[in-house]
Amino acid sequence: MKIVVCVKQVPASNDAKIDPVTKRIVREGIKSIMNPFDLYALEEGIRLKEKFGGQVIALSMGPPKAEAVLREALSAGADHAILLSDRAFGGSDTWATSYALAKAIERIGHVDLVICGKQAIDGDTAQVGPGIAAHLDWMQAAGVMEVQVKDSSIIVKRMHEEGHDICQLQLPAVITVVKDINTPRVPTLRGRLAALKYELPVWKPADIGADPEKLGLNGSPTRVVKTQPPDPRQADTIRIEGTPKECARALVHELRLRSLI
Amino acid sequence: MRYHIQNKIYHVELLPPKQESEKLEKDLELFTKKYKRVLENGYCACITDNAMGNLSFQGTEMIDVLGLPVEPEQVMIHLNTFHTKENLDEILNSCIDMGIKYLLVVSGDGSERLPKLKPSDIGITGSESVTSVELLKYINREYPDKFVLGVAFNPYEPEDHEFEKMERKMAAGAEFVVTQPLIEKNPAVDRLLEKYPDVPVIVEAWMSKKLHLLSDAVGYTIPEDEAYDPIETLKMLHKMYPGCGVYLSLLSFKNHFDLLKETWI
Repeated sequence: MKIVVCVKQVPASNDAKIDPVTKRIVREGIKSIMNPFDLYALEEGIRLKEKFGGQVIALSMGPPKAEAVLREALSAGADHAILLSDRAFGGSDTWATSYALAKAIERIGHVDLVICGKQAIDGDTAQVGPGIAAHLDWMQAAGVMEVQVKDSSIIVKRMHEEGHDICQLQLPAVITVVKDINTPRVPTLRGRLAALKYELPVWKPADIGADPEKLGLNGSPTRVVKTQPPDPRQADTIRIEGTPKECARALVHELRLRSLI
Repeated sequence: MRYHIQNKIYHVELLPPKQESEKLEKDLELFTKKYKRVLENGYCACITDNAMGNLSFQGTEMIDVLGLPVEPEQVMIHLNTFHTKENLDEILNSCIDMGIKYLLVVSGDGSERLPKLKPSDIGITGSESVTSVELLKYINREYPDKFVLGVAFNPYEPEDHEFEKMERKMAAGAEFVVTQPLIEKNPAVDRLLEKYPDVPVIVEAWMSKKLHLLSDAVGYTIPEDEAYDPIETLKMLHKMYPGCGVYLSLLSFKNHFDLLKETWI
């Protein structure tokens, strides 16, 4: 299988500020990480490759420093990585972003499956994965928690508020995954060292045959007119239900998970 | 472990580079230098396992990839419960292949990014989560006679609770104990020595000037401006606990390493 996993570099901190003029996130001075949901997408891609053979290509669009998340993907087990980076991509909304990613996927060629995290924690739109499918005119499923491969299709368990669906998708297809799907591996030192030496291709609009009018602000039908950060969370609350014994056990379990006891 | 105490072999903590390091190659070079220096001086290199929940590289992987030498009496690997079963077995088998026999088994500090062993992963029933006790049982059951297993003792926890845990750790096969950092004679450690006279105990000496971290470890605030001399503390520990080994955490290789030879005499 030829699998493309889309990854995004996002601010690590909940303290991210919004520029009042541009309405964009101020990224300077804030630590960046791979979007947490993308770790699960990457892990699923690597597992499918390990089971069925093929290759995993990590794909990202962003500023030059976004190469860090691609190197992280390589250290975890991706075979190749590609960065879309150019001023022309700047200011793209989810439609223009998914257009650029779809063009890159076409350029990669013969891709069977595209996997994205269910959403990015900075924008929280959950639109890019479905947007890629729309641009490519491929089948798609969002909120996937299980994938099985059957001949030239995949059978996915798709989570939603009232339960789950089982869907069969003819390949090529696009899926977005939730955290329940797997436990992402921690990159190895060997992988990390190999990733440092990888010569990362950086593609510009011309490399993917993208129409400049469909990129950046020009290609973005949405305009953000007002943005404000959410109120800071005071604390996480977990509601534990059951008999007193069950509750006590669950409480001990949660506290141990956090190394509090 | 008695051999270490009789032969005055310090246990020197080594922290592998963090996964997020932006100067990884330099960090690896530094780790290699420190590791070799510890071994060349006859001490025991103790490699932590994602200490404080920070994602770092595994000790066995560091030794393998960097081609570091292993002397069975001079290497100890920390092992915590934040691993997948597959990864845990990989680490244990690597230790066997490399000739590493000393493991310090701890519950460890988790983070969202680290997988946590589940009781079912290691065939444990009747427990809701995996602690060092369950991990000890697993290692002793699946890898009998392959390792010398140590456990942690925290004298700053409520004493009865800590001793009850220690009893379970001993029943699960613990063969030596490493304490949390001590900065003075500690009644809980005295009780530990009295209760388990045949078990080798390694007391931990805080060798850093980062007192806020030490405050976190000991459970009460040590004023940042208070004069703290790690070497004096180390000498004091030797005097107070002559029958114990010593574990050196956050040792300054630049300022203190060369002074060690004159400290345990």
